[in-house]
Amino acid sequence: MPAIRPASKRKPPPDGFSDIEEDLLIFANKMKDAQNTPTDNIPKHQAQWPIFQIAHQRSRYVYELYYQKQAISKQLYDWLLKNGYADAMLIAKWKKQGYEKLCCLRCIQTKETNFNSTCICRVPRAQLKEDQDIQCVNCGCRGCASTD
Amino acid sequence: MVKSTYQPSSSALPPLPPGWTEHIAPTGHKYYYNAETKESTYKRPGVTPTPPPPPPAAVPAAPVAVPGALPTAMPAAVPAIGPAAVPVSGYVPPLSTLNLSDPAVANAFMAQYRAQSQPQQLFGGAKPVEKPQPKPRPQPKDKPKSKVAIPGCEPWVLVYTKYGRRFVYNPVKNASYWRIPEKLMPAILEMDKERIRKKAEGDQEGGKKEEEEEKEKETSRAPEDSKQSEKRKESEAPSEQPPQRDYDSSEYEEVEVTDDEDEAADQQDQSGPPEFTEADIATQLALMNAEYGEQGDYEAGEEGQWEEGDEGLPLSEEDARALFKDLLNDFHINPYSPWEKLMEEGKIFDDARYTVLPTTKARKEVWEEWSREKIAQLKEQRAKQEKQDPRIAFLAFLQEKATPKLYWPEFKRKYRKEGPMRDTSLSDKEREKFYREHINRLKMPQSQLKTDLKKLLQSVPLSQLNNQTLSSHLPSQVLADIRYISLPPEVRDPLIEAYIKELGPPPEASENAEDEAARQAREERRKRHEKALQERERAVAEEKKRQERKLQIERERLREEERELERAMHVSKKGLQTQLLGDQMVKEDREKMETD
Repeated sequence: MPAIRPASKRKPPPDGFSDIEEDLLIFANKMKDAQNTPTDNIPKHQAQWPIFQIAHQRSRYVYELYYQKQAISKQLYDWLLKNGYADAMLIAKWKKQGYEKLCCLRCIQTKETNFNSTCICRVPRAQLKEDQDIQCVNCGCRGCASTD
Repeated sequence: MVKSTYQPSSSALPPLPPGWTEHIAPTGHKYYYNAETKESTYKRPGVTPTPPPPPPAAVPAAPVAVPGALPTAMPAAVPAIGPAAVPVSGYVPPLSTLNLSDPAVANAFMAQYRAQSQPQQLFGGAKPVEKPQPKPRPQPKDKPKSKVAIPGCEPWVLVYTKYGRRFVYNPVKNASYWRIPEKLMPAILEMDKERIRKKAEGDQEGGKKEEEEEKEKETSRAPEDSKQSEKRKESEAPSEQPPQRDYDSSEYEEVEVTDDEDEAADQQDQSGPPEFTEADIATQLALMNAEYGEQGDYEAGEEGQWEEGDEGLPLSEEDARALFKDLLNDFHINPYSPWEKLMEEGKIFDDARYTVLPTTKARKEVWEEWSREKIAQLKEQRAKQEKQDPRIAFLAFLQEKATPKLYWPEFKRKYRKEGPMRDTSLSDKEREKFYREHINRLKMPQSQLKTDLKKLLQSVPLSQLNNQTLSSHLPSQVLADIRYISLPPEVRDPLIEAYIKELGPPPEASENAEDEAARQAREERRKRHEKALQERERAVAEEKKRQERKLQIERERLREEERELERAMHVSKKGLQTQLLGDQMVKEDREKMETD
């Protein structure tokens, strides 16, 4: 692991970071809280749901700022990816047709499932039974098919 | 909409005898305590041993009920009785036997009521059953307040009571009904509309709402209902009325009253109908509007329309969008923030403009558009703004906060949240350097600092600092210098002003001077160019000469060879002999010469 440089010796982030700094801080705090909440009394598979959800939200935030609102520069976007503010692999999926709303990468990992299929949350609502409420095991997603 | 006419009887109750105090038990019941005798009771002690005053009208004989305890103990049950029981089934339960102070009974009653009542869109207070009961004295009494002849149905008059309810009365037959007979219904509706229209000029918004009601009423209500809305008891304090909007939302009271019950009231009415002025109506309408404001359970979209649309027309799509964007602007929403944050904070929910768009999806769409526009705007603005030297802000900050008492790490920790300390364009090292230098300079004598400042000012060219420079707009060259902040402002500013006054005007020649410099530079460049050219020429000439010489030598050599060839070609008739002889002779000659 590379040494963590002190703040005084770190390169300053690219321009425009100050605009989004506050919101990123909120996300970071949320994430910390989620990590520190005890998971004793919740089902084991649900323990990581909030982590996934916050990671998704934060990635989505960065993705939208760069690709949809053109609010941040390429340099800043790269810097954010490099510094772990967003999940580059997830964003890569979002750019593909059919994956625009993908909740997490685990939900499309077919090799990890018994029948080599994707997660239930990838099934379009139209193909589910009426009023079938689902919440996927991986990240607690309630449905992330593009057509929903 | 009619408020309950029920009043907690405490106001009507006789005052407590001395020594007694009133308290509220954790259950909400009131009880009375005598500190001297250490006696406590639920029953209200009176000076005279009067029986406890009967509970409010709806529950005429609640055996266990402690007066005053009723509204808190079962607030919802009371108002619901009337509309539920009477009109729907047509069966009037013997209220006197119904003990509604018992929660179980009340609940059962409510369940029955809810099953019967139809879902209605209208909002409004529930109607308590309020029968004018002549007998119990401390009972709040509803009195007729004004009467209006119903046009078209001559003998009938419409009587408004003190508490804002109304009934129809036929003086000929001496009959009165809470429930308005069907034959009178159209005429009364007509009257209502007329009155509302009159009101509409004075109180637009209120009028609109009523019209809205009117429409809904006409579509959804059964015709036999009678309207009971606008009037309301003004004196009734909100705290005194039991919460009563939960169950019934009807505007028309559906209570039938028998004649004899009403007679006393009617007679009073006839004896002297009090004035019911415009002002009264106005205040009541105002009250009603307030009531509307409190209630959040009606259709979301409509409020915005009332707020903004003049005629209650639905807003156009664009207007709604513009309104929502206005809302976002007004609340200073950060365009960079995510939508989730906006929703979590919930600041904008309370604004009426929030509801101009019907769905959250539409709102999000508009928000996205807005944030995109806003960000583009911000970008443009920033591009226009000239870049300010980050040192200026930091130095100004230093001048304000730095003291020799704090070391740099302490200073840094203390002010780490300040803007200039967090600015990333200035590195921490630089900041530290500035701080240390500044602190060191603070220890120097003032005279030294003054001369330093003078030097700094003198170093600035006249084109930047002259007698037309405002002291508030010094060139950044000055502001970003550590010498500028060493003196406290009260000493420094007069000094600088004095210096500026001494200076000459902004040199017109400054441009010339610049030109001069430029020309000089150009000249120099030309000279250099020429020199280079000459050198090159010389070099070329030399090269040429060398080449020529080479060429001559070559030519010489060529000629020599040619000559030799020519000589060789000159062969006489003697042939080779002579040639050889010649050679021999030459040889001999040489030998001779050698021997010589």
